[in-house]
Amino acid sequence: MKRAAIERTMLIASAAFLLTVPWLVPAIADRFWVSVIAEILIWSLLAASVNLLFGYVGLLSFGQALFFGFGMYGVAIGVEKLALGFWPALGLGIAAPVAMAIVAGIFAVRLTWHYFAIITVVFSLIFYFLALTMKPLTGGDDGISFTLPAVFKFGGAEWGFASATFQYFFILATVALCLYALRRLLGSPLGKAFMAIRDNDVRASLIGLNVYWLRLTAFVIAGFLAGLSGALFAFFGRYASASYMFYHVSGEAVVWAIVGGAGTLFGPLVGTGLFILIREVVSTHWQHHALIVGAVAILIVIFAPRGMVGLWRDFMGRWSGGEK
Amino acid sequence: MNAPANAPILRIEGLTKHFGGLTAVDDVTLEFAPGRLHAIIGPNGAGKTTLFNLISGFLPSDSGRVFFAGREITGLKPHRISRLGIARTLQVKSVFHQLSVADNLWITAQAQRGVLNPFRSTTSYRETCEKVERVLEQLGLAALANQQAGTLSHGDIALLEIGMAISAEPKLLLLDEPICGMSPAETARTVAKIRELAQTIEIVLIEHDMEVVFEIADDITVMAQGAILASGSPQAIAADERVREAYLGRAEDEDYIEEPVRA
Repeated sequence: MKRAAIERTMLIASAAFLLTVPWLVPAIADRFWVSVIAEILIWSLLAASVNLLFGYVGLLSFGQALFFGFGMYGVAIGVEKLALGFWPALGLGIAAPVAMAIVAGIFAVRLTWHYFAIITVVFSLIFYFLALTMKPLTGGDDGISFTLPAVFKFGGAEWGFASATFQYFFILATVALCLYALRRLLGSPLGKAFMAIRDNDVRASLIGLNVYWLRLTAFVIAGFLAGLSGALFAFFGRYASASYMFYHVSGEAVVWAIVGGAGTLFGPLVGTGLFILIREVVSTHWQHHALIVGAVAILIVIFAPRGMVGLWRDFMGRWSGGEK
Repeated sequence: MNAPANAPILRIEGLTKHFGGLTAVDDVTLEFAPGRLHAIIGPNGAGKTTLFNLISGFLPSDSGRVFFAGREITGLKPHRISRLGIARTLQVKSVFHQLSVADNLWITAQAQRGVLNPFRSTTSYRETCEKVERVLEQLGLAALANQQAGTLSHGDIALLEIGMAISAEPKLLLLDEPICGMSPAETARTVAKIRELAQTIEIVLIEHDMEVVFEIADDITVMAQGAILASGSPQAIAADERVREAYLGRAEDEDYIEEPVRA
């Protein structure tokens, strides 16, 4: 039981750290790192969306950036072109990618393995090029910048992303809520059905699971996560751009999820954190930071197929096994 | 439904399946009477597993019809057929290898209900959890409940597969070579389980082990080259000249598969 105690302590320590970031980090380092951590939290949702599909349903998507992009554009177009407030724009930034996921999913989840991976890339490429060409709506390569609407208004007082601290906690709360919902989902009948399909789709249909509908459901939930990630990132960066729909972004999320630990709840967050930190630390000194990213990814995939979280679990398993 | 008590649990009419030029199942017409343990035997490539695949909706048939408990199930999707009450095991043992033994049984029992609520914990489904406990006890797998299914021994995986089939509470259970690759002790244990299950569930099994088949089956159907060669009681089958010639009498002959058989 020592192992559970250690893991609980780590979880509490991480939570305590994340809750005090806006004060702790400027005190020991630089305010800049607060926004890096916020960015990690946002991107971890995109990695979580890859992980839900790959780690729990067995579908490897290289197209999640499509939904990320739809989330960004939903918010940016909502605020800039439709003059929506924060919440309606956020709603649009969620509804657009979910609708897109339903449409793409209807076609994509008929396929598995590399066929599925290819069709997800194709979908995201189609809409990437569409976004590039539909300049009046999307701003093409330049994207759309917008002025932040307030999140809450009470009388004369306003709270919004203009305050770095408010922004950070809004993002933290959203990501925490998503992880909690995912945890609940994975412990539910639907979650078990997902994992059954991941392990053996033939057997899953033999026991009476509708594999097609379940995969579609997972695909739409993953689209929601990626879309929400993009919507938050739009508010965070105050703009949207087609470049975030490119499959390069999808590929990065796949690497984050797998290196962190596919099929584990916190894996995507760990992987995203590691790679964004590498990027931020190394890129100021050396422009080829992608080389380090590649090397780490290759090492992890070869030596720790269940990612960093899997590596940790194995280590704890051996350690607590010897301890008794 | 409103089928009479002695109506066949499963009726197959003129079922045919071609794979390219090969006729895997050739105009098969069969009836399985309720309350009897049926075995289908035949050399490799006789079309036994294909017949199971057609019954369970895994492959579409080229022609012919299948009736289950008086209801036509031809052309239904596998998960629909499963929910009507036909469960099956696969020749190559097939479980959810990363899920625990208990979760394998849990999802199988729950899948039949069709509704998979994402907002409730699996542990809050008392009825399903109790069923899982019962099946674990019944199969003697209780000690392995929390172990990952992929780490079990071959014999335990085969038992788990049968457990999954019965936790779906089927009316009809199709077992594809349930004792294939088992040690004598595992075979004895599994045969005893199958006998026990046959008291409450209709069972049709495919098996290569003649000793086992003649020991437990009430009715035997012999298939060869996609067609039915003979069907009847074990005594009748053992005495059948064509069967002896085509199959039993040549058991030591390695290339009996090559032998053309005319029914």
